[in-house]
Amino acid sequence: MPPKRRSTGATAKSTQSTLAFHGASNKVTKPGARATNAKKNILTESAKNEEKLEVTTVKVEEEDAPTTAEAAIIEQTEQVQEQAQSTPEEDQARQIKPKQLQAYWTKLSSGSAPRYHQKDFGLEEKILRKFDMTGQFGPCVGIARLKRWKRAHRLGLEPPIEVLAVLLQEQDSKDKISVQRSIMDDILNSHAEIEV
Amino acid sequence: MQGVVPMMDSPWRLLMAAPATFCATRSAITIEDAASDFSRNASAYKPLHTFELPTGAEKHYHHQFADMYFLRLVQLKQAVKQKAHDAWDDFKLGGERASYVERVLDVRQGELCWVVGTVYMEMALKPNVLDDLSKEHWIAAPPPRETYVSPSGADELMLEDESGRLRIIGDSLNSHYVTGCILAALGTEQADGSFQVIATQYADLPRQPRRWESEDAAPKAKRERSGKLALVSGLDITGTPDDDLLLDLLVEYLTGEATGPPDQTAASQISRLIIAGNSLAHASPILNRDDFNAKKSAKKHYGYDASSYNATPAEKLDSLLSQILPSLPITILPGEHDPANVALPQQPLHPALFPLSRAYANPPVQSKESLEGLDSVTNPWEADVEGWRILGTGGQTVDDLLKYVDDVEPLDVMEMMLRWRCIAPTAPDTLWCYPFQDDDPLILRECPHIYFAGNREKFESRVVQGPAGQQVLLLGVPRYSTTGQIVLVDMETLDVELVEVGVVQPAS
Repeated sequence: MPPKRRSTGATAKSTQSTLAFHGASNKVTKPGARATNAKKNILTESAKNEEKLEVTTVKVEEEDAPTTAEAAIIEQTEQVQEQAQSTPEEDQARQIKPKQLQAYWTKLSSGSAPRYHQKDFGLEEKILRKFDMTGQFGPCVGIARLKRWKRAHRLGLEPPIEVLAVLLQEQDSKDKISVQRSIMDDILNSHAEIEV
Repeated sequence: MQGVVPMMDSPWRLLMAAPATFCATRSAITIEDAASDFSRNASAYKPLHTFELPTGAEKHYHHQFADMYFLRLVQLKQAVKQKAHDAWDDFKLGGERASYVERVLDVRQGELCWVVGTVYMEMALKPNVLDDLSKEHWIAAPPPRETYVSPSGADELMLEDESGRLRIIGDSLNSHYVTGCILAALGTEQADGSFQVIATQYADLPRQPRRWESEDAAPKAKRERSGKLALVSGLDITGTPDDDLLLDLLVEYLTGEATGPPDQTAASQISRLIIAGNSLAHASPILNRDDFNAKKSAKKHYGYDASSYNATPAEKLDSLLSQILPSLPITILPGEHDPANVALPQQPLHPALFPLSRAYANPPVQSKESLEGLDSVTNPWEADVEGWRILGTGGQTVDDLLKYVDDVEPLDVMEMMLRWRCIAPTAPDTLWCYPFQDDDPLILRECPHIYFAGNREKFESRVVQGPAGQQVLLLGVPRYSTTGQIVLVDMETLDVELVEVGVVQPAS
């Protein structure tokens, strides 16, 4: 190591300002950040965030802009709705009562074992899922259920009128899009949401 | 159409003498021209917009191709079932009657039955999306294949419907069917699960409309004698002066400037010209990946690099059309090498390509068709010309089908496509196609009177008969750039003539 230099006498002071990392003008941290008690706050904050995530996950997904596949289904339902104000089959479908739906479902599911995996679904949901899985009306992926029903009807495949009744009922009520998209579509076109 | 149409293939060769004597005869022609007046009749023309896709944002590409196969099966199943019932209801083999099975997977071993499904050919050499991936990792992709038939015969044939796939085997099947055609197969299931086929049945030709059926006027209305239809394809304009001779001769023949009064009379009977694809030799100014990389590393150009786009071929095509258009209406179809979309159905060539010929066409904003000038149409294309229903393609469907089979003539392939009622059976599989979801226009609904395919190696024609008295004229239009041949069809009698344009060296 070189010998220590001793400064004796007055050293000339330079006019250049020196770097300083202290003081109000050079503050690096943001105001409001509590530098003190940091550890405690981090723990509590992360706990709160986790709770928030659990509670609001469903809502956050729905508020996002629709993906391409979803946007296509939305557009298809809107188109189908615009075209037919009331076609004969739609009129007929609107006259179907819940009792008839129940009778249709019992006829359809008779002769097979009880469906425990569908215990929590409503009657409408079960009817729609059965319609999705019926291969003779075509693939259920990438097409809105209403459009698929109309296409099958136009091709002369005689799709059940009860399914149209359920679709129109659900349409008139609340969330239009979740009804039109089949479950297979959701599963096959699902995407991972990255939560920041 | 009464009776059988006699076929006349009489090639007429225009003898063009050496240039020195040509000028002398030209002046002789013009003097005689003033004396005799040649005029052309209008052509009764009604294009059908079967293959036009919605424009802009209404085209959706997120649909699955499974919808197309479903539509094809559902719409043709009825017809195939009917034919199969007629043929096999009384069929007995060893005392056993054949029965119809609803789903392809429900065939039982040892039971004689028949099913209806879509054919799927499992071929190892078919283009694969994995080839594109290999191109990313290696230097070059494997070269495009001439044929998909594997030399070892390991290709499998399967029958598919919404329940599943059934492997079928049988001697009668070899090189007769391709992916996408709807078939009824009669046979039994073997022990190993494959279906041994004894006989097959397809939908056959649909109903054929009468001549002038789509016209509202009475069919016996007084009409002038129809003219001739000229078909040409594969002009393959490259922009170099090499193709000038053949193209100029084409223009001169069609406008009546060349030859003498007999040939000019014949040429004046032509009432419409159809250009069936591949008018430009290569129309992608956008370089593919390898060329682009080579170019990028070569030289740095500032601003717009004019060497990347050559406008001369399009300009030449435009001037060619504008010379013919004043005297002859033209219908132009896009082909494989033309600047139109790659997927079938190819949409019409944009009027922006034809600044001079545009004057003879209706602007797209006003109307989708131009009955009397330049009509830019889709590929494939359907129309009523002089009352006859015409269906035509640029030839890609035929070329693709020929790769699936061995030793089959192009006309046979065209006949089979009509009998299967599929205009492009290989369409979503190996031929790019728009994903139709509601309605598949590539299914034949009405039998045409004339079916032509462009860009064939040589000229061929045949008349095929249908089960209900239908008669279809099949035409293979040869490539003009290599053969110099123009096909003329007399629209009154459906006779076919061939005009060959070329240079004959006088014997010295």
